[in-house]
Amino acid sequence: MEIPYNSTARPDTGLYNGKVGIWLFLASEVMLFGALFSAYVLLRVGAEPGNWSMGLMSKEVGAFNTLILIASSATIVLAWVSLKLKDWNGYRKWKIATVVFASMFLIVKWGYEWPAKFTHYDVTFVNDKAAETVFAEVLNKDDYNDECQKHHKEIWSARYNIDGKDWGSVDTKDKPLDGYIVGYYTKNENGEREHHKVGQTFGIYFWSHAFAWRHDKRNEGRTTATGAKRDTFREKGVVAVEIEPAHGTWDNHTDKHASVTDRRYAKAGDGHATDAGGHGHAITIEAEQISRVSSYEPAHSTFFAVYYTLTGLHALHVFGGILVMLYHLMPISRRMYESDPDRFTNRIEITGLFWHFVDLVWIFLFPILYLF
Amino acid sequence: MADEHNAEWYENTFKRMIYWVGGVLIAGTAITYAIDKWGVAEKFGLLTAVIFGLTVATIKAATVIVIFMHLKWDWKFKTISLTLISTVLFFIGMMWLTVGSEVKTYESNDGKPGRIDNTWKHGEHAIGLNKPAEIQPPKE
Repeated sequence: MEIPYNSTARPDTGLYNGKVGIWLFLASEVMLFGALFSAYVLLRVGAEPGNWSMGLMSKEVGAFNTLILIASSATIVLAWVSLKLKDWNGYRKWKIATVVFASMFLIVKWGYEWPAKFTHYDVTFVNDKAAETVFAEVLNKDDYNDECQKHHKEIWSARYNIDGKDWGSVDTKDKPLDGYIVGYYTKNENGEREHHKVGQTFGIYFWSHAFAWRHDKRNEGRTTATGAKRDTFREKGVVAVEIEPAHGTWDNHTDKHASVTDRRYAKAGDGHATDAGGHGHAITIEAEQISRVSSYEPAHSTFFAVYYTLTGLHALHVFGGILVMLYHLMPISRRMYESDPDRFTNRIEITGLFWHFVDLVWIFLFPILYLF
Repeated sequence: MADEHNAEWYENTFKRMIYWVGGVLIAGTAITYAIDKWGVAEKFGLLTAVIFGLTVATIKAATVIVIFMHLKWDWKFKTISLTLISTVLFFIGMMWLTVGSEVKTYESNDGKPGRIDNTWKHGEHAIGLNKPAEIQPPKE
């Protein structure tokens, strides 16, 4: 028995079966993402002043990914139009272009953006004195030679000048020093310090160094060796870490920014607020000076917890879309097109509807996660 | 699409629409980026920047839905969807009349929502739940 309205539209709804199905699915997706968007907005407006770390995002990368998804949305419609025009080769061309764009999106997201965050660390201090000591060491280095390093020092001086600034309610110890961990010290049985080098934290080492370091003074009361949370300092017996400071995440706290919001972190693009590498000026910080070490991972802050949830779920949708599109490029799909071209064309339309939804989600994710 | 078009329409009219929409989306992204780059939040306030940015995002989303997802031509489905959405909006409106009127979450000093939950305080008072329980002495 033939199933009715598989290829032709029902007279009452104007839709064929598959299209009803995809719209119902998309309605459930709207609820899923809608709940997460609502959670984000409520957490954002309810956050304590200065604790929303979205300024650590690179908006240029976000904008680039937006353009890529827009391009993929256009190419997938063009693929469908090609089928409507009975042009299989045109369909293949546009479909492959869509897969390439979608893959580029994931490469940027999972191959650059995320791992760059996972290897970039924030260090906060046990008290103001410890913080001042470390900041002074960063600022007083006299080997800032090339232009980039001089610019870097200017940014740091503006952000961490602890003498002439009013930092409001935030203590100096809570101003994070950010950078890349390049080495650490342990003590051997004779009580001598031993230096250990950590491999590169940039480039191809991205993922292999992700989440490598975690420390929180609050773990000290735990009875087990590693504690309920993993703590690298306790596992390795670390007495000091070597860190290459990066751009400085602290806002300059000029009047114009203060009037907008009491940001604890600088805006993206404000100076060096991107995931640029360290500047080759490693400084040593004693473990007893540190209250917390955390990469920009989900546990870093509420913002990053929601950021990874939202972008991770979205990226999974992109990944799923790629798998379906690859299936539609296989010989089995060609055979279906030859035996029932209308039904195959409808399938491509349905895939396109899903893909446009994925694009729609990103259209809203980009401004709320990267810009505002 | 529910309304079938001929090959010429796809080749000429619809393809041109696709490129136009693509252009609108790219321009929208550039504008959103520029809003941040120009420091609209610093000059006119964060709320202004957010409203401006999300309005651009909504326009972009609308073009995707109407043209790329061909809702412009699925008029029967569009009518059904709008009817269903309006029932949801009606439901929210009715719920707001009953539940929303009882919720006051902006009474804290710092203006942050959710700090003091006064939900049902009014109703509590009306039915006397906020009064201490009165114990009646047993009748002799």
